[in-house]
Amino acid sequence: MRIGIMSFAHLHAEGYVQNLRRIPGVEVIGFSDTDSERGRRFSQAYGLRWFWTHEDLLAERPDAVIVTSENARHRELVELAAQAGAHVLCEKPIATTVEDALAMKAVVEEAGVRFMTAFPMRFSPALQTAREMVQSGELGSVLAVVGVNHSENPKHHRAWFAQKDLAGGGAVIDHTVHLADLYRWIFDCEVADVYAEVSNPFDPEVDTDTAGVLQLRLQNGVAASIDASWSRPAEYPRWGHLKMEILGEKGALLVDAFAGHLNVWRKTAGRSYEWLGYHPDPNQAMIRAFVKSVAAKKEPSVTWRDGFEAMRVALAAYVSASEKRRVDPTMLR
Amino acid sequence: MRVGIVGAGTMGRVHAAAYRRIGVEGLAAYDVDPVKLADFASEEGAEPFTDYPKMLAEVDVVDVCAPTFAHQQLAEQAFAAGRDVILEKPLALSVAQGEQILRAARESGRRLFVAMVVRFFPQYRRARELVSRGELGRIGVVRLKRVSFPPAAAWFRDPAKSGGMPVDLMIHDLDYARWLLGGPRRVFARMSRGDRASALEHVQATLAYDDGAMVFVEGGWAYPPGYFRTSLDIAGDKGLIEWSSDQPVPLDTLLPKDAPPPKLGLPMAGLEENPYETELRHALSAFDSGEPFAVAPQEALEALRLAIAVRESALSESVVEVA
Repeated sequence: MRIGIMSFAHLHAEGYVQNLRRIPGVEVIGFSDTDSERGRRFSQAYGLRWFWTHEDLLAERPDAVIVTSENARHRELVELAAQAGAHVLCEKPIATTVEDALAMKAVVEEAGVRFMTAFPMRFSPALQTAREMVQSGELGSVLAVVGVNHSENPKHHRAWFAQKDLAGGGAVIDHTVHLADLYRWIFDCEVADVYAEVSNPFDPEVDTDTAGVLQLRLQNGVAASIDASWSRPAEYPRWGHLKMEILGEKGALLVDAFAGHLNVWRKTAGRSYEWLGYHPDPNQAMIRAFVKSVAAKKEPSVTWRDGFEAMRVALAAYVSASEKRRVDPTMLR
Repeated sequence: MRVGIVGAGTMGRVHAAAYRRIGVEGLAAYDVDPVKLADFASEEGAEPFTDYPKMLAEVDVVDVCAPTFAHQQLAEQAFAAGRDVILEKPLALSVAQGEQILRAARESGRRLFVAMVVRFFPQYRRARELVSRGELGRIGVVRLKRVSFPPAAAWFRDPAKSGGMPVDLMIHDLDYARWLLGGPRRVFARMSRGDRASALEHVQATLAYDDGAMVFVEGGWAYPPGYFRTSLDIAGDKGLIEWSSDQPVPLDTLLPKDAPPPKLGLPMAGLEENPYETELRHALSAFDSGEPFAVAPQEALEALRLAIAVRESALSESVVEVA
């Protein structure tokens, strides 16, 4: 199977290339990027063919592509890919507006290609087990869920993450979607309403939010929350974490999805103290699932709908914060 | 490849579960106790054999999870029947016994894999990778901990049958020390014991190397039921690694504490990667392909020699020189 990467704007592209290379039968045909500095740099770093335009990459007729551009450019790239008959794995959030996301749905349906949203946490064994325990009733009736998805400010890796026109927002649109998707997946229902506080306490140099705390009511009545803040310092021993505590009438589950690390200090490295994970990377399982669904001509396990609903929760948080009221994300059209 | 498990105890069950998950079908099982065997067979989905030679005739690989004092006879019979053998650690009760098992394997032309499972734990592997790539520079002090509660089965508590705690449990970290740094020059160890009935036993051992490196190993059957802690701490002149089982895990469950305590302490296998599966998949694939094992039989023998030296030092309260 021949796979191309559309844009190296998102830092996950680097990991995905390595994930793809570990899968037998997959050929990474190269990547497209209109930024020549990035094109040259990553072409050299990964020994990849660099295409100056997305059209040139698609002219090579890849079976599938991974779209890892800036969030606001997903629509344009997904449209190009679908029209070229390539199946799509799209980085999250799938878009920055409801309109763009709906247009993406229309074009992939029209072209008859498959669309998967990149939600790697669904492939974390800890979260899969947590979901099984909730759904089997082992915890009894669930009362509440407390979630955090903290990180450092990603602008140090890529500036566009903190540019509203390209990212669609800041911390809230970046992080909310992971936990929103996990809640929908674990409880098999939508988010009924969102109350959010959103602000920028951490970085006066950017015009986006760097902090957000959301309180959700799920349609099944569970009270859930999400801290989506870029509140970890650059010196934190890892990029951040994803944690979830699920409290049921019969017990509690504590998930720390990236736990399992060696504490490493090195005299030479830039970051002298580091948490070095020793568990498999959930991205690997996600990329494998995408390849498998394309090969089997089957609907991917994470769909456009999943990407769309999670995005609407993030967008609802921004509406809630500006209007100071609870917002039903399914009413955003 | 058909596998026959010998010993219907805790390790037999751990291995049976791992075989199931890696897709090994048609397990056979043998135990001297027909009642335990029947329970094991029905719960683990294995075909029970009350006669060991009959099982040997039916399988390709024999996985000996029986108590240590039975290893030699069971392994030698399997080799004589032309079978490859997986042997739960420790290899044997004495170096002489261990040498005889290795010789029996060689003379029969069959292969022996000693299941030193710590070598298949991802954090221990990852730490060794960093050390062997030189990322920590020259290693100065290594600290390794493995402290559990006393196992329930009586034979563990009898050193004549299990080799005692250093040979049964601490051998994991002694083998890991050898894997990191090779064999030490000398050892010194002290043992602390509770009263006879409690079976509490705790050992602190120091391994000294010619280049000045030292490894401190703590091992014990000394905690209350249900507790099992392990840790590693590797300090070099260019870097340091710390890890402890006290650190958060990806999934922790808080359920009512009314379950009976476990019979045997085992280090926690992560959901992400079960080291017993990694280990047995490795062994079966090496039997199949003829590739060398990640743990050579000779290394298992050297680990045993070191564990016995630790025990001797603790009992004699004196320094023991080792090769």
